[in-house]
Amino acid sequence: MIGLLCCASLLFLLTSLFIGCFKLLILAPVEPHFTECMSRDLETFRCWWSPGTFHNLSSPEELRVFYLKRNSPSSEWKECPEYSHLNRECFFDANHTSIWIPYCLQLRGQNNITYFNEDDCFSVENIVRPDPPVSLNWTLLIVSPSGLSYDVMVSWEPPPSADVSTGWMRIEYEIQYRERNATTWEALETQPHTQQTIYGLQAGTEYEVHIRTKMKGFPKFGDFSDSIFVKVTEIPLRESAVLLTLVLTFGVAGILILIMLIVVSHQQRLMMILLPPVPAPKIKGIDSELLKKGKLEELDFILNGGGLGGLPTYISDYYQDEPWVEFIEVDEEDADCGEKEDQKSSDTQRLLGLPQRSVGCFSADSHPDDDSGRASCYDTDLSEQDTHLLAASLLPGQPEDEEAFLHPDEKAPASETNKSPLIQTESEGKPTWINTDLYAQVSNVMPSGGVVLSPGQQLRIQENTEKESQKKGTLGEDTSKLNKPQFQLLVVDPDGSGYTSEITARQISTPPSSLVPGEGYQTIYPQPMETKPAAPSEPNQSPYILPDSPQTRLFAPVADYTVVQELDTHQSLLLNLPTQQPPPPCLPQHPLKAPVAIGYVTPDLLGNLSS
Amino acid sequence: MKAASICPNDQTGCHLLPLANLFDRVIQHSARMHGISDDLHSEFELYFLPSKNQIGRVSRNCHTSTILTPNGKENAQRIAREELAEIILKLLVAWRDPLWHFHQSMSQHDEFTNFSSNKSLEMSDMVHELRKGVLKVVEKMQMLGIISNSVGDTGSPEALLTSDSAEWRFMKDYDLLYCFRRDSNKIQNYLKILKCRIVPKHGC
Repeated sequence: MIGLLCCASLLFLLTSLFIGCFKLLILAPVEPHFTECMSRDLETFRCWWSPGTFHNLSSPEELRVFYLKRNSPSSEWKECPEYSHLNRECFFDANHTSIWIPYCLQLRGQNNITYFNEDDCFSVENIVRPDPPVSLNWTLLIVSPSGLSYDVMVSWEPPPSADVSTGWMRIEYEIQYRERNATTWEALETQPHTQQTIYGLQAGTEYEVHIRTKMKGFPKFGDFSDSIFVKVTEIPLRESAVLLTLVLTFGVAGILILIMLIVVSHQQRLMMILLPPVPAPKIKGIDSELLKKGKLEELDFILNGGGLGGLPTYISDYYQDEPWVEFIEVDEEDADCGEKEDQKSSDTQRLLGLPQRSVGCFSADSHPDDDSGRASCYDTDLSEQDTHLLAASLLPGQPEDEEAFLHPDEKAPASETNKSPLIQTESEGKPTWINTDLYAQVSNVMPSGGVVLSPGQQLRIQENTEKESQKKGTLGEDTSKLNKPQFQLLVVDPDGSGYTSEITARQISTPPSSLVPGEGYQTIYPQPMETKPAAPSEPNQSPYILPDSPQTRLFAPVADYTVVQELDTHQSLLLNLPTQQPPPPCLPQHPLKAPVAIGYVTPDLLGNLSS
Repeated sequence: MKAASICPNDQTGCHLLPLANLFDRVIQHSARMHGISDDLHSEFELYFLPSKNQIGRVSRNCHTSTILTPNGKENAQRIAREELAEIILKLLVAWRDPLWHFHQSMSQHDEFTNFSSNKSLEMSDMVHELRKGVLKVVEKMQMLGIISNSVGDTGSPEALLTSDSAEWRFMKDYDLLYCFRRDSNKIQNYLKILKCRIVPKHGC
């Protein structure tokens, strides 16, 4: 209760105080003062005053204006040179105006009451507000292609009161513009030139533009000029331009969509045309595509023949059987070693190093690399008949070429001659039958030390001879004998190398002892083979091989390749013996039809079997 | 005396073009100097009550008051060119040392920002540059025979301000700024008037 009373009284006091202060502030009489002093041209200036709220001002003339120029310590107050009591203005003309000199003004009333404010001191250059420019006009600069916006150049004249030409005043201009019905003005940057461009006005709307000035280096702006109105009517778009734009836009869009569709639908051809693939780096020699697709023949060719090589050449054996055959074919079509061999010479002859032939050449052409396993190059000093026979026997056969094979019948009598096969061949003018493969696979190794070679060549030889015999039909018993699968393989003493050499070749003079017909391997004896089933144990026979010699045992065809079973005590390779085969000899049937139950079947065998 | 003509033909316009360019450059320089002084002055005013007409409390006259300068347009136009040029040079010389000291005192005060300190240094440098520029203009004018050779390098400021040589040392920083601002405006105006008197056709 007491507190409440206390508060109320306090409140009352405060309020009264406030009211009193308020009264003092608001209702206090204002003494006469100067409202503004301004110069327009830096040569003259004028000041306006207000009498305030003082009472007892009977007439306006009571107040007098005095000024002081502080250019010397002994200056004194002087009265206003020119009064304009109507406006309550004091005008200082050029004679009374000095720039860069502080002026102080004061008002004096009756009784020499002076009303002076410190703030009423100034220098004339600081109170300059230049007049606005005159003669405003605008010109259209450019209209945008769409016709929606345009640029305008506004130009004007400097205010006549400002002496710009003598350089006394340096004036800057500020343009402001706004839309007709807008409230805020858009101001451009102040600049000293008498023209300026307004960018980006919209067509169809009216704009209001006005300009004001100020002294360069001083902050006060003058009044705004009279406004001018800028308007550009909207130009209707040309029909053709619009149409063209539309067409272009849609066309481009359509093309893009089409390209996208093509890309999405994976039309390879079109994609190739539109978006050609970036060429990938090509690695010389090996094409990755080949590896992917698994074209082994090409790959092999690249790796061995065409490319840089490097793979072991035995791989080529699998695939290059045919080329060998073709290559070694001794006939006019082939030019081994780059020389056109006459038909008289045969590969055999060449291989055997017989007089003029170089063996190395042959091998070099066929295979780029040296491979010890090939034993392609026999020394030319293979003088031994056995060696020759061996070599000859080792030569790849020519399955197809009938003529390449010596007729056993015909050749038989001439078997005495050492070089009969070749010579006979020569005499025949046909390539020798001994178109055996240069390399033959060791099919089996005999306990005696002989090596059973692949029957492939022999088979072919046999085949051909068979054909020949059939052709001729002269053979009677011989055919039957011929029909025997007479494969002659050279049995070589294994020396661990797997290949026959001249040394071992010499050893092949022993007659086949433990030759078993059904063993399925063949032996080639260095004895001259005759068509007639003469005893093969005649070392004086011609060193050619008659594959269909009657001496030949009946052997089942041996695969070109067999698996090495083991090494026996003599370090000989024991190959996978083919299964026992029925003795073929008496069968009038094609000897090649003898079943061959072996690991591998040569293509010829297979063909014969199936036929 | 005959001026060495730099133009092949004796065209008046050709003579004066390089001079007009020189003038323009000098005037631009002076305008910039005035702008900097104005900025500094406004900044100083933050520490004082802002005056209505930017007069403030100028307690003393500026030290350059002793230099008689034309205070109006007519006066400036009536005065001889040589005299006007000399006045300009006098003013520039008079402000060399004070501004340097002003800068020194500014940099020592912590309350002033680096910006202000840089400005004061710039101002001090500008006075030097401007003086050199005006000397060049005078030289050119003398070469062209526009003014006589009476205008020369006024030399050290001590020659000008004999008794008031130390007056500026007693001026407060604020007053100094005020005075310099005023004087830089004077210089700017005088230069412009001089230019428009000598080469009126080139941008007046």
